[in-house]
Amino acid sequence: LSYLFYSFFKSLVGKDVVVELKNDLSICGTLHSVDQYLNIKLTDISVTDPEKYPHMLSVKNCFIRGSVVRYVQLPADEVDTQLLQDAARKEALQQKQ
Amino acid sequence: CWNQETEAAVSPLQWPENGDQWSDTEEGGIDMEECGLAAMAEEDEEINIYNNETFGSVVENEGHPINSLPQLDEQPPEPPSSPSLPSLSPSSPSFSPRTKPQFQIQFPPGLRGRGRVPRGGQAMAQMFEDPAVVTTVEGRQSLQVSHYSCVLVVEIDSLFTQTRSFLSSSPRPCPSTPQPLTPKMMQLRFGANSPRPFPFYSPSSNPVLFHRFPGPVTQLHPQHRRLLSQRQPRSQRKPDWDPYCNIMSAKEKEWIIRLQMIQLQSENPNLDDYYYQEYYRRMEAKLAEEELGMRGKREPPKLTTPYVTKTESYTPVVHIEGSLGQVAVSTCFNPRRAIDAVTAHCPHEELKDLRQQRLDVLKKIEKLFMVLLDVEEGQRMKAHVLGEGEESRLMERTQRKVEYIFSQFQNPSGDEFLPCLLVSKGKRLMARLLPFLSRDAALKVLRVVTFHLPILMSRDTDESLPVLYPPLRTVIGAVTFSQLIGVLKDFTASSPDSSDGSDCLSLACQSKFGLSLLYALLSQGERLLSSDVPLEPSIGDFETWTDTVFLVASQLSQSALVEPLLLPSNLLTLFCRYLDKRTVHQLKSNIESATGHLAPPS
Repeated sequence: LSYLFYSFFKSLVGKDVVVELKNDLSICGTLHSVDQYLNIKLTDISVTDPEKYPHMLSVKNCFIRGSVVRYVQLPADEVDTQLLQDAARKEALQQKQ
Repeated sequence: CWNQETEAAVSPLQWPENGDQWSDTEEGGIDMEECGLAAMAEEDEEINIYNNETFGSVVENEGHPINSLPQLDEQPPEPPSSPSLPSLSPSSPSFSPRTKPQFQIQFPPGLRGRGRVPRGGQAMAQMFEDPAVVTTVEGRQSLQVSHYSCVLVVEIDSLFTQTRSFLSSSPRPCPSTPQPLTPKMMQLRFGANSPRPFPFYSPSSNPVLFHRFPGPVTQLHPQHRRLLSQRQPRSQRKPDWDPYCNIMSAKEKEWIIRLQMIQLQSENPNLDDYYYQEYYRRMEAKLAEEELGMRGKREPPKLTTPYVTKTESYTPVVHIEGSLGQVAVSTCFNPRRAIDAVTAHCPHEELKDLRQQRLDVLKKIEKLFMVLLDVEEGQRMKAHVLGEGEESRLMERTQRKVEYIFSQFQNPSGDEFLPCLLVSKGKRLMARLLPFLSRDAALKVLRVVTFHLPILMSRDTDESLPVLYPPLRTVIGAVTFSQLIGVLKDFTASSPDSSDGSDCLSLACQSKFGLSLLYALLSQGERLLSSDVPLEPSIGDFETWTDTVFLVASQLSQSALVEPLLLPSNLLTLFCRYLDKRTVHQLKSNIESATGHLAPPS
C-alpha cells in the first residue's frame, strides 16, 4: 500500500487547492480530507468556470473519486519539495526491501 | 397508470413453453400476438428506455440480449454469505433456454408501472439483467438470489407487499433519490448481509476487529490541528435540515470508516507517514524556535494513522469481514517506466554522450542520497537514549557512511568534485553532507568551491548555489588565518576555467552566492584579527591579507553589487581599518544600495 501521497495530501488538509478532473472540470475548494485512494473531499467549492458548469452553483461540498483526478494545484508555500523527495527516496528504499 | 386490459392479460403469466423457438433478436422468436401482448410490447420499449437511462444499459453483447435465466442447480462462485440453499445466478451466461425452469413467474395484479414485467424474449432477458430487479418465485421455501450487487431474501407473501411499497413509494421519476427506507426495504435493496439498519447490525459482533480503535476519526498532528482551528473561526454553517442525515446510522458510518482505517494500519508510521510527520514536526520546531528563541524540547504526543503491530504478513488480497468482494490493495512494485533512466552500460567513457553522462551522474547522486538519509537518521537516533556500546557503534557506522559518500562524490579518480557539484542535486547533497564532514574534508570542499567559483556561478542556471551558503559559512567560521588566506588566494587569482581571463572577483560581484561568500571570508578575517586568539600566520600571510582587502575594496566600489544572502556586521569595521574615510563612504553607499538596508555604522 502506497502511503507516500496519502501522507503528502494529509499535510495539505485545510489548505485551498484546485482539482482538475479528467473531464476538464476544475474545482477550487478547501481540502477537507483524503484517503489512501487519494479520493478527495472539498468544502466551500467553486467552479473556476461557472458559466460552463452552472449545475455546480449550488454545490457547497463534494467528494471526488481519486481516479478521475488529472491535476491538483497546490499552494507552493505549503509544500516542501525537498522533503517530498526524501519521502520518495525512503519509500523506494522500503519497496526494495 | 394501470391498464385493466393488460392486467387481465398479464396474470396469470405462464412461462413460455416454446423456449426452443426463441431467438436472440427481437424480430424472430415469440410471436407477440400469440401471447396476446402486442399492446404491452410498445410499453415495453418505453420501460426499456427508462430503465437504460436510470440504471444503465444492461445489454452485454451487441444486439444479443442475454437470455439468461437462473439455474437452480448451480452454485455461484463465492457468494458473500450463502447458505446451502440453491442460489439463483441471474447473470450467469450459461443459461440454456431449453432447461425447464422449476419455478414460475407470477406477478400480482398490483405490480405494474415502473416494475419489470417479463413478456417476450427481450423483456424477459432484461428483467434478469437489471440489478435492482424484483423477482418473484413461487414455492414454499425461501431462496437466496445471489447477485453481485444485491442479495435478496425472497419470500412470497411478504415480497408482494414489499415490492408494492417499494414501487409506490417512489413518487418521483428517479428511484435513486434517497427515500426513507423501512428495514425490509433496506434488506431488499442492500442485501441481508451488508451492514443492516440499526436494529440488526452491531459492530460488536466482530470483537477482534473493532476493539483496537478508540475512534474512527483520523488523528491529526497537534500542530496541524492548531493550524486548522486557527484558520476557521468556528463557522456556524449548520443547515436547518439535512435531507440525507438519517440514511446511515452512526454505527454504520463508523463501520465504514473503520473499514478504511484498518487498511491504513501501519507498523512503522515514521516511515510510512514520513512526509506528514516530518513536515509538521519541522513546522512545530520552527515556530517554537521563533517564539521562544530555543527549540521545543518536549515533543508533544502525536498520533496520525492508527499504529498497530501487525501480526500477519502482507497479503495481496484482502477480504474484510462483512464487505462485499475484495478490497483493492495497491502497491507500487511495478511502476510504469516513465523515465529512461536504466541504460545499457557503455564500456568507453568517452563514447557516452552528454545526456548519458548526465544520467549517470544523477543516478550516482541518488544512490548517495539514500546513504545520506541513513546518516541523518542515525543522527536523529543519537538523540534517543542508547546504550554506551550501541551509540559508539552507531557513530562509527555513520562516520563510515559519510566517508563513503564523500569519496564517491569526488568520482572514482578523486578530487573531481565538479561533475556532481555542477548539478543542482549534487549541490543539495553536498550542502546536507557538509555538517557531517571532518574539518579537513570540509575545508577541501570550501577550497574547491572557491577555486571553481566562476564556472559554478556561470553554470548555475536554476540558482541552487545559495543552498551551499549556510553550511559553507559555518565552515568558514572555523578556519584558521592561514587557511583563510589560502582560500582568498583562490578567490582573487584569475580563474582557470574562464577563457576570457576575467577574474573571479568581478564575477562574484554579480552573483548572490559569490558575493556572500566573499563577505563571509572577509568577515572571518576581521573576526580573527580583532579577537584574542593567536593567529599563527605563515610568512606572507599578512601581506596577502592586506593586498586582498585593498583589491576587494576597489572592486566593490567600482562594480554594481547584488544583494548578498547575508551582510556581515563587521565588514565596514574591516574596511575602516585599512582605508581612508572617503573610500569607506563610497563602499558603504555602494553596498547599501544593493542591500536596501543600512550597514552598521563604522
